[in-house]
Amino acid sequence: MAVETGAGARTNRREYLFVFLALAGLTALELTVIRLPGIGRSSMIAALVVLATSKATLIGLFFMHLRYETRILKLTVLIPLLAPPGYALALIADATWRLMR
Amino acid sequence: MSSSTAQFGHAHEVAWPTDDQYGAATPGKIGMWIFLISDAFSFAGLLIGYGILRAGHPVWRQVGEPALGVTFTAGLTLLLICSSVTNVLGYAAAVEGKRRQAAALLAATSLLGAAFLFGQYREYSGLIREGLVFGQSARASIFYVITSFHGLHVLIGVVYILAVLLAYVRGRAGPRQIELLGLFWCFVDFVWIFVFSFLYLLP
Repeated sequence: MAVETGAGARTNRREYLFVFLALAGLTALELTVIRLPGIGRSSMIAALVVLATSKATLIGLFFMHLRYETRILKLTVLIPLLAPPGYALALIADATWRLMR
Repeated sequence: MSSSTAQFGHAHEVAWPTDDQYGAATPGKIGMWIFLISDAFSFAGLLIGYGILRAGHPVWRQVGEPALGVTFTAGLTLLLICSSVTNVLGYAAAVEGKRRQAAALLAATSLLGAAFLFGQYREYSGLIREGLVFGQSARASIFYVITSFHGLHVLIGVVYILAVLLAYVRGRAGPRQIELLGLFWCFVDFVWIFVFSFLYLLP
């Protein structure tokens, strides 16, 4: 049951439990991926990044209640968090370019 | 309302005016988010440093160094996920005015956090005994730097939970304080997801 208080707080027990199951399932999937026979290194890294990002998104949206915040607050959080992956991609691109030179 | 309540004016009893941009988010919540973003950059810097070190070492795992215990750490990951759930359920109970349930769930959260720290201590003991010693290789050093930095956050989180729990039981804290605590605690879980994936799962 979802509960909304006058202070703007929202809670939803069923949603919390669903997210918990999803997080446990995604963790089990991660453990499966690293044990898959014949999976390439790049594919494994891509799969792990997607799975980790999915788990982090679930926590941010539902456990940290970002889902219920205003668009401005969501963007206040999201935009800075895009910077580290951007730096990482720039470094990977630089390293790849040096290797191919 | 008790006289002390009237004197201190608990945050959860004050109707905070809504803002056009930030809705009902209090300055405390916005401040916590800004702190968490800056803290996320600390972890991101460490993880990017890990990536650079790893890319610069053709042989990452030195001869004689042990492998990291993926299954054991997956158990620790599950502990943290469970603690996030007890935390948000505790917040829900506090919002619904179920004080005993909220206090019990917060106590469970702190216990799960303490169990995580104990597990990390056991992991460190085993790894050091098997030859993964700080300073002896890039792999060992960056592993201990990142996981201990995260462990420090868990320790601070456990102390923070106990402080809020004590204040809640004494009637000096309410759902708003528990929500801020929840933001910090879930952030610890949020960060661990990436630490677990990159340090433990990457081949």
